Amino acid sequence: MYFLSICKIIQNILINRLYVNIPPMGIKIIILLIISFGLDARPISYSGGSTIMSFSDNIKDSLYYHYSPSYKYSVGIENIRDKYFDDNYSYVRFTYLLNRKNTENSQRNLYLQSGISSKGFNEFFYGMHGDWETRRLFVGFGLKETKRKIHDYSEQYYQIGVAPYLGDYGDLHTWIMIKAKENSLENKWSTYPVLKFFKGNVLMEFGYSKKTEWDVHLMYRF
Amino acid sequence: MKKILLLLVFTSMTWGEPPHDHMHHSHEGHLHEELVDGKKLEVDPERFDKFIMDLKDSQIAVVNVKGMVCDFCARGIEKTFKKDTNVKKIDVDLSKGKVLIAYNVAYEIIFDDIKEKILINGQNAIDMQVINL
Repeated sequence: MYFLSICKIIQNILINRLYVNIPPMGIKIIILLIISFGLDARPISYSGGSTIMSFSDNIKDSLYYHYSPSYKYSVGIENIRDKYFDDNYSYVRFTYLLNRKNTENSQRNLYLQSGISSKGFNEFFYGMHGDWETRRLFVGFGLKETKRKIHDYSEQYYQIGVAPYLGDYGDLHTWIMIKAKENSLENKWSTYPVLKFFKGNVLMEFGYSKKTEWDVHLMYRF
Repeated sequence: MKKILLLLVFTSMTWGEPPHDHMHHSHEGHLHEELVDGKKLEVDPERFDKFIMDLKDSQIAVVNVKGMVCDFCARGIEKTFKKDTNVKKIDVDLSKGKVLIAYNVAYEIIFDDIKEKILINGQNAIDMQVINL
């Protein structure tokens, strides 16, 4: 039921916003693929804005909804399928914009993120991620500590990107990026290319590494 | 890892400035080709002509915005202004960092209201020029 509702939402986005008509079975396949992969980005929307995002990597699949009462923070719920420990649980999440610097040609952000697990108050995560971007360049990083009864672990990533062309407002925008990530469970770094596309309220990121396989992130803001 | 996180939190407290610290001049109700400090307001003439093509009895607020570097981040600006029934039309010019807002000619444009609407999206409006059609 939950999955079918998500499929319906995504289908509406594609039809109404991107004017692309994909049959229901095609949508289900796309969603299954997307939920199997993922990344992290834009954790806070504008005041009153909501965001639904699906992402995963080699250790988890996630579906995350958040609402931003202000551009400075967001609250949300994230449902996780933990691939590494073969477990399912949810987080109540809070993200806070610690610092933002706007200039005429750039924006820099630093976010604090945290979440408490449905498994109990002694299972949680906290971390920080940040980015700096112009219309042409992007630099980002993320650090995260997760506390679990089974095993604590940490994750980190660093990302740089360039926009091959500068699109106008409403155009399809494209970023070519390089991402390096590591987690203490596997204790190995992987560096791989990432492609990011966005148009209107829809954003998609795809990354692939031989070591960690796919990273894909889908996001819709409304 | 914990040390790095703590260091970043403390560094960020002293870094940067809050987004609303960038306000300079209000030019509401005036038609200026230059701001009071001599700085020219750059509006793409072709884009401006296209924007006003179907507008009558209107005034255009040309707002200079800091931090508007990405389409995805500027979406909220368009949404916020479209909710305002006094707004006839809006255009976001990412290349010049400008937002063009068309109001009815009788409406009193208040720069502080515009600044607030842009700030709730996380960007800073720094200057405004009003052009009567």
